[in-house]
Amino acid sequence: MRRVVSSAAWVAYLTLGFMTLTIAPAAAYIDPGSGSLIFQVVVGAAMAVSLAVKVFWRRITGFFSRRNR
Amino acid sequence: MTQRVAGSFRDPAGFVFTRDGVLYRQVNRTFAETFAQLSSSGLYDALVEQGLLIPHATADVEPAEPATAATVIRPEPVDFVSYPFEWAPGQLRAAALATLEAQRIAMDHGMTLRDATAYNVQFHRGRPVLIDTLSFEPLVEGRPWVAYRQFCEHFLAPLALMHHVDVRLGQLQRAHLDGIPLDLAAGILPARTRMRAGLAIHIHAHAGSQRRHADAGDAPKGRSFSMQSFQGLIESLTTAVRKLEWSPPPSAWRDYYAARESYSDQSLEHKEVLVDKVLAELTPQRVWDLGANTGHFSRIAARHGAQVASLEMDPSAVELSWRQVAEDGETAVLPLWVDLANPTPSQGWAHGERMSLTARGPADAALALALVHHLAIGGNVPLPAVAEWFAQLCEHLIVEWIPKDDPMVQRLLASREDVFADYTQEGFESAFGEHFSVERREPLQGSVRLLYVMRRRART
Repeated sequence: MRRVVSSAAWVAYLTLGFMTLTIAPAAAYIDPGSGSLIFQVVVGAAMAVSLAVKVFWRRITGFFSRRNR
Repeated sequence: MTQRVAGSFRDPAGFVFTRDGVLYRQVNRTFAETFAQLSSSGLYDALVEQGLLIPHATADVEPAEPATAATVIRPEPVDFVSYPFEWAPGQLRAAALATLEAQRIAMDHGMTLRDATAYNVQFHRGRPVLIDTLSFEPLVEGRPWVAYRQFCEHFLAPLALMHHVDVRLGQLQRAHLDGIPLDLAAGILPARTRMRAGLAIHIHAHAGSQRRHADAGDAPKGRSFSMQSFQGLIESLTTAVRKLEWSPPPSAWRDYYAARESYSDQSLEHKEVLVDKVLAELTPQRVWDLGANTGHFSRIAARHGAQVASLEMDPSAVELSWRQVAEDGETAVLPLWVDLANPTPSQGWAHGERMSLTARGPADAALALALVHHLAIGGNVPLPAVAEWFAQLCEHLIVEWIPKDDPMVQRLLASREDVFADYTQEGFESAFGEHFSVERREPLQGSVRLLYVMRRRART
């Protein structure tokens, strides 16, 4: 079950992720670090998917714990 | 007199200054529009309601630098300014979670944190609160978090090091005021931390990415950072921080009162009664409890209405004291991890960015209970030097004298030569008499100890 959700979410978020192809330049007084900015973009899709899975999972467990009450 | 606060110079959006003892923050014209959005978006109210941002009032006063100023605000003052390297792991963790929660709420209001330094958090009435009102800017979709690196270096790296290697590595923060470099943290952390999702990503892989892109002026291109990614990043950081809950190992200090080796119950009770009585008479507003352990006497001071900085060198004791603050919702005790034999110096740019411990005083009253023998014998500090420094810290001093024939002093001397010929009651009274007048002297029942109440002599 988890695997199905996860791959569906992957497809959804990868599509979303590639939809916007530009990135606004960061204007900040601290140095965000190019390695840190690039890294976020690289792991961004995985972050989105893992959040989606988590939210979905919470809904399922929430649904069953409500039913059991 | 108007004076710019020394540590407030990095951010061109504004700065903090004091005038006649009141703290203000100037908002510069270049930042005026962004600052207005903090209120118009509803974010200010939401954060203040949650106790995550220090409240402020608009101040109708002359700006410190009128040429650049848009407006001046007066933030609610914090009772005692403390720094991340003075916090127990649980406090740094609470500050990290507060920062992430503020970021989450900001995103709901179309804004984001433009920095995430641990120095932007202070403990105010028992809770971590963001003090930099100018930290928020509009959220631009597609842009990664500019403060991600800073968050990892200021919070995640020290928490991971304290949790997975040794709590004493928290003191690395004192050397690295701008956060612990991730390659340094990754090098020290044990290999097993690569198996923990949060640390594998945000420290190990993150450090790798920094290394790969260190030289080139690389910028992220091609793919963008979706809002879902941003939310996922904050969620992932939150999970990583939550897991870094340090459990204090048993230490000699945290179990001090439970073991009661040094005390007869009678002498401890007598000390409590005396300290309670003295504090009831003095009613000091600002108390420093020097060598506070888990804050037993700090809480007696708090009962008399004082705001107490509870300074202790053992991180386990500080952690336990912090948990009591957090669990019981205490608002008047601030436990801090400070070694009084090596107190926080003034640090940072031009020695001005972070205040020394002494510069944050003086307190109305200081407690120095079962402490002097540690400094004088454990630390080889001559009694006149102890007295001289204490006189810089407080107006009133409640200090316990523990003579050489006390079992605790005997224990300190057990493995070393007694080179402390001046460690006598006469030596103590003469050293402290240079700076203080003795208002009261009481023997502690059931022990050979004495409790003194002293008042600092007027400086000539």
